[in-house]
Amino acid sequence: MSDYALEVHDLRVDYGDFVAVDGLSLKIPRGKVVGLVGPNGAGKTSTFKVLATLMEPTYGEVSMCGLDVLEETAKVRKLLGYMPDLAPVPSDLKLGEFLEFHADTHALGNKAQRRARVDECLARVNLTAKRNAWCRKLSRGQTQRLVLAKTLLHEPQVMILDEPASGLDPLSRRELRLTLQSLAREGVTVLVSSHILSELAEMCSSIIVMNQGKLLASGTAEEVRSELGSDRREMTMKVLGTTGELFSWLTAREGVSELVQEEGAVKFDFVGDDEAQVQLLADCVRAGFAVKTLEEKRASFEEILVEVAEGNETPLEE
Amino acid sequence: MRAAADRKQKPVWALWANPIFRRYCKSRLRPKGLGVMLMMTLIVTGFAFALARAIALHELDPIDAARIPVIPILVIQGIILFFLGTGQVAGGMTAEGDEGVIDYQRLAPMSPLAKTFGYLFGLPIREYVLFLSTLPFTIWSFWEGQIPLFVAGQLYGGVLSSVILYHLTGLVAGTVLKNRRWAFLVSMGAIFFLYTVVPQIAKFGLVYFKYLTLYPIFEESLPYLVPQDAGAVVETAQRLLPPARFFNLNLPQAVFTLLSQGVFSLAAVVMVWRRWKLSESHLLGKVWSVALFAWIQILLLGNALPLIAGGDLFPSRNLGGMFNRFVDPIWEPEAMEAVLMAGVYGVVTLTLLLILLVVITPEYDTQVRGWRRVHKLGQKRLPFFGDSSSSFWWAGVMILLGTIGWFVFTKNIIESHWFFGEVKVFSAVAFALSLVTAGFGWQAILEWKGRRAGTLVFILLGVVPILIGVVMAVSNEALRVPAIWIGSISPLAGPVLAAINEVSIADFPRDVERAAPPAFWFWQCLLLFGAVRLIAASRQQKKALREVSVQ
Repeated sequence: MSDYALEVHDLRVDYGDFVAVDGLSLKIPRGKVVGLVGPNGAGKTSTFKVLATLMEPTYGEVSMCGLDVLEETAKVRKLLGYMPDLAPVPSDLKLGEFLEFHADTHALGNKAQRRARVDECLARVNLTAKRNAWCRKLSRGQTQRLVLAKTLLHEPQVMILDEPASGLDPLSRRELRLTLQSLAREGVTVLVSSHILSELAEMCSSIIVMNQGKLLASGTAEEVRSELGSDRREMTMKVLGTTGELFSWLTAREGVSELVQEEGAVKFDFVGDDEAQVQLLADCVRAGFAVKTLEEKRASFEEILVEVAEGNETPLEE
Repeated sequence: MRAAADRKQKPVWALWANPIFRRYCKSRLRPKGLGVMLMMTLIVTGFAFALARAIALHELDPIDAARIPVIPILVIQGIILFFLGTGQVAGGMTAEGDEGVIDYQRLAPMSPLAKTFGYLFGLPIREYVLFLSTLPFTIWSFWEGQIPLFVAGQLYGGVLSSVILYHLTGLVAGTVLKNRRWAFLVSMGAIFFLYTVVPQIAKFGLVYFKYLTLYPIFEESLPYLVPQDAGAVVETAQRLLPPARFFNLNLPQAVFTLLSQGVFSLAAVVMVWRRWKLSESHLLGKVWSVALFAWIQILLLGNALPLIAGGDLFPSRNLGGMFNRFVDPIWEPEAMEAVLMAGVYGVVTLTLLLILLVVITPEYDTQVRGWRRVHKLGQKRLPFFGDSSSSFWWAGVMILLGTIGWFVFTKNIIESHWFFGEVKVFSAVAFALSLVTAGFGWQAILEWKGRRAGTLVFILLGVVPILIGVVMAVSNEALRVPAIWIGSISPLAGPVLAAINEVSIADFPRDVERAAPPAFWFWQCLLLFGAVRLIAASRQQKKALREVSVQ
């Protein structure tokens, strides 16, 4: 039996001339919560659809718990729980009926057993009180929770959740995080996508960043941060006296850009590693500037993602 | 709870245990929605029953009077099951896709066949219940009217077979169309077309099409559904009507109807099954499409050829119904109608060819993906039977089969004892040319530019010239020649003109006879040139795709 819950090798998905996923390869161990993040059009949903057996890729190998996703679809579907983006629910069913129907499709025992399992899942997402409410009357967050309950029903070994936190209030997000982490402790592998990297950083043991169909970085949150955004930091240097000379001196320094002169301080972007930063400060003091403080602000996850997304945009002149 | 791998699904035939069926039993049989519909159905059926019986009781004995309500109730049942039920299946299926929940069902670990059955019988469950609510009236009428049990069996067996076929068609429409209102209207429109236009086409030599409706079984059962005296007359008249003929076989209408509908139902099941397996796949594979085309040709010929000698195939005999047989015992078919039948056969064959080409021709996206996959796997060609491969050769096979079918049909009619004409092999070449220009041209457009461009070309080049030609010809006799020239631009007119030109037994107006051959050959040569250019462009694109796939 494979040690990995998911193995993807050289996956490619095309929509005509548009390449949605390009040569993606990854391995996800069992019992982990892994986040997939990237801007719109990064290829997250296409990747998820292939993993969830809903789409045939152009080519590539995909296996789930050792089963070939493209060949052993029926077996894979028994192991899989998939929650799509903007999770839909039927308008003509009540919550309990919706879940009982899906319990039925997965042949979860007799009627009493199915009902018990439905109650268990409803309780897990705090929707027990809404059992007899119409699915169409639920708020966005409640709908997300209901579909999460549906995904949990048949106790899948691998869960693929596309933007599960969208529309959830902070409390529900926290509950979602706790639920996913407890599932991981039970041995379930969770692959979850989001636009919000900080959100994933909280709930995932590792993160995969995609952009334009390609894998950009993967690892723990810190590893991803340093891999994608380690070079750039915003600096504010406060000095005694006038800042004019410091401004001129910094302009000539390597790795310094976006300078702004303020009262008693110069703000600038610095690209370089920690050693380069220490060297800059030392040179500054050596040059005779009376440095009072040097503040450093590193790019947040969101800023990194925005930078990645902005890199996708083609200049209008082209 | 049992482990996922141990959970066993119920067998496909156990409909009562089918989760999708049960889901719709729950949602579509809620007392609030069902109650109103049930009340309305009972009121309308009860009214029709009571009124028909009350009128009949004035003039007929109780047994005959009891038979009178059967047909009005059958009409109501037809509206419920054929129209509303089919619309509901198509609309409901589209709604599943529209709401996005269809992916949940796609992921459900049930077999594609179980899912198909679940939707097929689950979506129209309310209509089945409404139908059942009308049955007591039918049972009473059958019982009191002393209608034999076998009539009920064959009539309602036919109803069930037709319902399954129409609902499957609705299911296919629902998986293809994106808008639920359109799906509802298109599927009901198709049923309306089937019961109004198709029977008329059947009278032009394509007898097979009437077996897609309930008419043949209804006609066979008619002697028992009307008062006994009238029934005896109908029965006598029916003895003059041929049974369902299939080459040398004589079959009861009911049996042949079930057989004919069964093939189409099977094709529809395959379509839905393929879509359940993979949402992007073609509705039918290439082999299935060609087999279906061949089978329809065989059915058309098998039904038509045995009816030529007795004259039962000809429109002038059929349009007058049974009446002609009594009124005009020395009836003979006219040469003109024989030519027209050859033309209609050709147009239907061409239409079928164009429809199946839409099904099996890969769009640009599919071709790109296919080439990239092939390149990645180090292969040189697209898989011949796969969705991504060209439909060119398959179009060729269907054109060949269609030409053979047309030639056999036309030769048997024209060289029959009615006309003693002659159909030369060259005639088949002319007809084949009309299929080649239209078929290959259509295939190339679809492969090169896709369905949207294809539809535009179909309307502008296929439909508009015919419409203009018809208006011109009708408005002024002097415009008949230019009308023929303009109408001939349409590839759809090709088979009719081929029949007019090549089957020289009929006396058409002189100007038509003179204008038709040059118009046919001129436009067919141009269309052939166009088709060759399109094929070349399509091949060029294929080369480009092969290169793109390397990137």
